[in-house]
Amino acid sequence: MMVWRLNPITRKRLQRFRRIRRGFYSFAILLTLTVVSLFSNFLANRRAIVVSYEGTLYFPTFQYHDMATFAQQDEYGFDDVEADYLALQARFAADASNNWVLMPPVPFDPYEPDFDYAEPPPNAPDSRHWFGTDSQGRDVLARLLYGFRISILFAVTLVFVGQVSGTAIGSLQGFIGGRFDIYSQRFIEVWSTLPFLYVVILLATFFRPGFLLLLAIMALFEWIRMTYYMRTEMYREKTKEYCLAARSFGASRGRLIFRHLLPNCLTPLVTITPFAVVGAISALTALDYLGYGLPAPTPSWGEMIDQALASQNRDKLWLSIAPFSAISITLLLVTLIGESIREAFDPKQYAQYR
Amino acid sequence: MSAPARSLTRLLLPVALLTLTQVLLQPAAAEDLSAIDWVTNNDDPPIGDPAAKKGGTFYTSMSSYPLTLRVVGPNSNDAFAGWKRAYTMSFSLVMRHPTTDNYIPMMATHWSVQSDGRTIYYKLDPDARWSDGQPLTAADYVHTWHMLQSENIVDPSFNQYARDYYEEVVAVEPYVLKVVGKVESWRPLDMFDIWATPKHAVTLEEGFPERYNSAVLPVQGPYVLSEQVVGQYVVFSRLEDWWGRDKHYMQGMYNVDRIHIRVIDDNDRAFDFFKKGELSYYTVNTAKKWAEEMDFDAIRKGWAHRKRLFVDYPQGVYGFAMNLEKPIFQNKDFRKAMQHLFNFDEINTKLMSSAYYQQVSAFTGTEYENRDLVPYGFDPRQAREHLQAAGYSKRGDDGILVNAQGQRASFTLSYGSKGLERHMTVVKQTFQRFGVEMELRLLEPGTAFRNGLEREYEMTIMSRTSGLYPSPYQYFATELKETRNNNNVWAYGTAYTDSLIDVYRFDTDKAHRVAAMYELDAIIQDEAFYVPFWQAPFMRFLYVDSVVFPASFFPKRTQGMTDWQVFWIDADRDTRLQQAMAAERSLGEDTVVDVDPYLVKDRIEATLRAAAAR
Repeated sequence: MMVWRLNPITRKRLQRFRRIRRGFYSFAILLTLTVVSLFSNFLANRRAIVVSYEGTLYFPTFQYHDMATFAQQDEYGFDDVEADYLALQARFAADASNNWVLMPPVPFDPYEPDFDYAEPPPNAPDSRHWFGTDSQGRDVLARLLYGFRISILFAVTLVFVGQVSGTAIGSLQGFIGGRFDIYSQRFIEVWSTLPFLYVVILLATFFRPGFLLLLAIMALFEWIRMTYYMRTEMYREKTKEYCLAARSFGASRGRLIFRHLLPNCLTPLVTITPFAVVGAISALTALDYLGYGLPAPTPSWGEMIDQALASQNRDKLWLSIAPFSAISITLLLVTLIGESIREAFDPKQYAQYR
Repeated sequence: MSAPARSLTRLLLPVALLTLTQVLLQPAAAEDLSAIDWVTNNDDPPIGDPAAKKGGTFYTSMSSYPLTLRVVGPNSNDAFAGWKRAYTMSFSLVMRHPTTDNYIPMMATHWSVQSDGRTIYYKLDPDARWSDGQPLTAADYVHTWHMLQSENIVDPSFNQYARDYYEEVVAVEPYVLKVVGKVESWRPLDMFDIWATPKHAVTLEEGFPERYNSAVLPVQGPYVLSEQVVGQYVVFSRLEDWWGRDKHYMQGMYNVDRIHIRVIDDNDRAFDFFKKGELSYYTVNTAKKWAEEMDFDAIRKGWAHRKRLFVDYPQGVYGFAMNLEKPIFQNKDFRKAMQHLFNFDEINTKLMSSAYYQQVSAFTGTEYENRDLVPYGFDPRQAREHLQAAGYSKRGDDGILVNAQGQRASFTLSYGSKGLERHMTVVKQTFQRFGVEMELRLLEPGTAFRNGLEREYEMTIMSRTSGLYPSPYQYFATELKETRNNNNVWAYGTAYTDSLIDVYRFDTDKAHRVAAMYELDAIIQDEAFYVPFWQAPFMRFLYVDSVVFPASFFPKRTQGMTDWQVFWIDADRDTRLQQAMAAERSLGEDTVVDVDPYLVKDRIEATLRAAAAR
C-alpha cells in the first residue's frame, strides 16, 4: 500500500508501533493465524494430504478421487463415491503394505456430518472431535478454522476495497471542492441513510448470496465513512503552506496529490482501518447469525453462535465456547493493533509541552 | 369543507334507499317450512366424560398479551382469538363429533340440507341465551353475516370470506335460520356454518375496530372474560347457569371454574413455570425437549405427568416440492431418484430424537389417505438406477454426476425457515455423496412462500395445513397449471387426475370419492414430484396431578389443548398434591407416556413395517 517513500515521521511512527509490545505481538499473532488459516484445507479435511498407493502418489486435497481408485467400496457396493481416507488409513495400517495415507491433523471437513456416535449430535469434545460436534454432527474445530479464514479474508478484502474507494472519493471531494463537493456530499448523505440490512435481505431474494456478492453489497456501504475523514483532511492540508509552496514551484496536480497531500492525510486511514476490520467481522457474523449472510452450509461464526444460542443447545457449552472465544480473541487482537497504531500515530507525541 | 360531506350524502342516499326497499320487501317473503325434513342426532356419546367434576382453577400461558378482544378486524387473527373462540363463542350451528365424525347439534337442534347442496335450514335451540340473559335468535346470525360484509370492520379477508361463502343468511323465523352458500357442496354443513354475534350489543357503524377493541361483549359460551391485567394475564370464569350445561353433548365439558392465562413470552420460561408448579398444563413442542428434558423432579415424584397422545388429525402437505416447469425435474426418473436419496430415518434418529414419522400420503390424517401406499425409502441403489435412466451416469471432476450433454445433476433448494437449515445441510451432504448437488438458499419466509406460489424455484419446502377434507383441486388441478400464484406449486395435472378430483368434489357417493382419492394419492406418489417430510400425529403435553382427563384424554380429532375442554380439576387430588409438594413427598412416577386410544401409532407403525418388509 505504501507506494510513497516513507517520510521520517512515518518511519518514526512505525518504530513506535513496534515498540508498543501488545500491539506488535497482536499483529504478529493475527498475521500468523491468518497465514495458517489459508492452509485450512491441509489442516482440517476429510480428504488426505497425500496418499501413496501402489507406487503412485495422490494429492486429494483439491481433487475428487472415487473409491475405485483405492479399491474401496461403500456399504451399497458403490465404488464411484468419494474415497474414505480415514478408512483407507486404517486399512493400510492393518495390511502392512507399503501404502500409506497422510491425513490432516483434523481429519474432518466442516460439512460432513459424523453420525458414528450412539448419542445424537451435538456430541461433546473427545479425542475424535477435539472441540466436539455441532447439532448436525459436524466438527466444530473444522468449522471454526474455516470460519476464521472466511471472516478474516472477507473483512480484509472488504476494508481494503472500502478504504481505497473511500479515500479516493473523499480526497477528490476535498481537493476539488466546490460544486462537486456539495453534490457528492448530498449523494453520500442520501446513500448512507439506506438501511443496510434491508438492502441485503432484499438482494438476497433476487440473487443467491455468495462470498463475492455479499462483499459487493457490503462494499456499497463500506466506503462512506472514510470519505468524511479524507474530505476534511484534504480540505485542511491543501491550504497549508507546504502545499502552496509546492504549487508555486509548479507541481502538477498528480504530484501535489500523491507526493504531498496524501502522505500527510494518512493518519485517519491507518488508525481507522483496524477498527473497520473489527466492524466488518462483526457485520458478517451478525448477518450469518440472522441467516442472511453466506448461504448454508458455509462454515461461519455467526451460524455457530446461532446454534449455540438455540434453546435446545443451551447446555452444550462447547458450542458457545468455541465461537465466542474465537470472536473475542480475534476482535481483541485487532483492537489492540488498532489502538497501538492510533497511539503510534498520535500527533500529541510531538507536542512541545508534553 | 362542505363539498366532501355533500358528495358523501349523494353517495349514501341511493344505498340508504336500496336498503330501505330491501327491508320493506323482506317480510313479504315468508317461507313455508312445513315441507322441511328436519334432521338431528342425539345418539353419539358425549364428547367429555359425564363423570367430570366442576370446579378449580386451570393455569396456562400465552406468548403475548392480546392486542384486541375482537374476533374480526385488525389484529384479531392472533392466538388469543383461539382462546376466545374456544371458551366464549366457538359454537357452530352443527358440529362434527370429534371422535365419531358424525354431525351433532350445537346451536341448532335440527337442520335440513336442501337438494341443491347449498341451502340449509337450521332450527335454533330456544334455550340459547347470551350471557346477559338476552335470547339468542336467528337475527344474531344474520347480524354476523352483515358484519362480515361490512367494510367498517376493516378486515378484507373476512369481507372476502363473506363474498365467497354466503349467498344469503336469512332469519326465516326467530328460531329458524336459512343459510344459502355460494356454490354447491357435498358437505354444506361444514362449508356454510356461521356463528352468532349479539345484535343488541354490536353495531356496525364506522369506528367498529376502535369501539370493540377492548369491549367485553355478551357471549353464548360457558365462559366470560372476567379479569384482565394488561400485559400480565386474563381470566375466563365459568357461568354457573350456562344454558348449554346439561345438553347431551356438553356433558363433562367446560369443567374448570377459572381459566387463568398468564403472559409468558418465552416458551422455555413457561417450561420453568410449569416445573415450579405454577402452570397446570404445558405443551412440549420440540422433539429434543421431549427426549432430553422430561426427567425433572415433579415428573419423578409424580406431581406432574407427561403424555404423548396419538391423535388422528389431518397433517397437511409438508415436504420437498419439485417444480415440473424446470427441465431438470421434468424427468420422472430423476424425481424418483430424489425420493430414494432422501434419508428420512437418518434425519429422524440423528436430528429429531426419532420423534416423528415420515408422511406417505398427500392426504395424511384424513379419511381420504390411501393407507396402502408404501414410502419410497432411502435406497441409493435404486436411486442410482433412476439417475442412470435419467441420463446421469458419469461423475464429473468434482464428483457431481453429469449427463451426455454435460449438464450437472445440480439444483437449488429454497426454503423460508432457518430452523430447517440443520436438516437441509444433512440432506445436502447425502445427495452430494451420491453425485447430486443441492444448493441451499434461505429466503425470507414471505418470499419463500411467494416464490412457491409463483413457481419461481427448482425445489422448495412446501408446508400447508389441511382440514378434515383435503382440497386436491387447489394443489393438483390442471387449469391452475396455466396461471401462477396458486397452490399448484409443482405445476402438476393431467386430464385424468382432473377427472378424479371432480369425482371427489362433486360425487355424492362417499365410496366413489374415496376410491378416486386413493387413486389420485397413488398417482401423486408415483409421479414423485413431492417428497413427503415428517408428520407428528400426536400431542405432547405435561399436566399437574390435580388435572384429570377422560380415559382417552382428548377426542380423536384434536390438535391443541384449547380444542376440547374435557379435562377437570379434582379437589381431593389438588389437596393431596399441595400436601405432597409441601412435604417434598413423592406420589409415585407415572411411567405410562405413550397413549394411543385411537390406534393411530399402531397403524403408522404397521405401514412402516410393511414398507420395511418389502
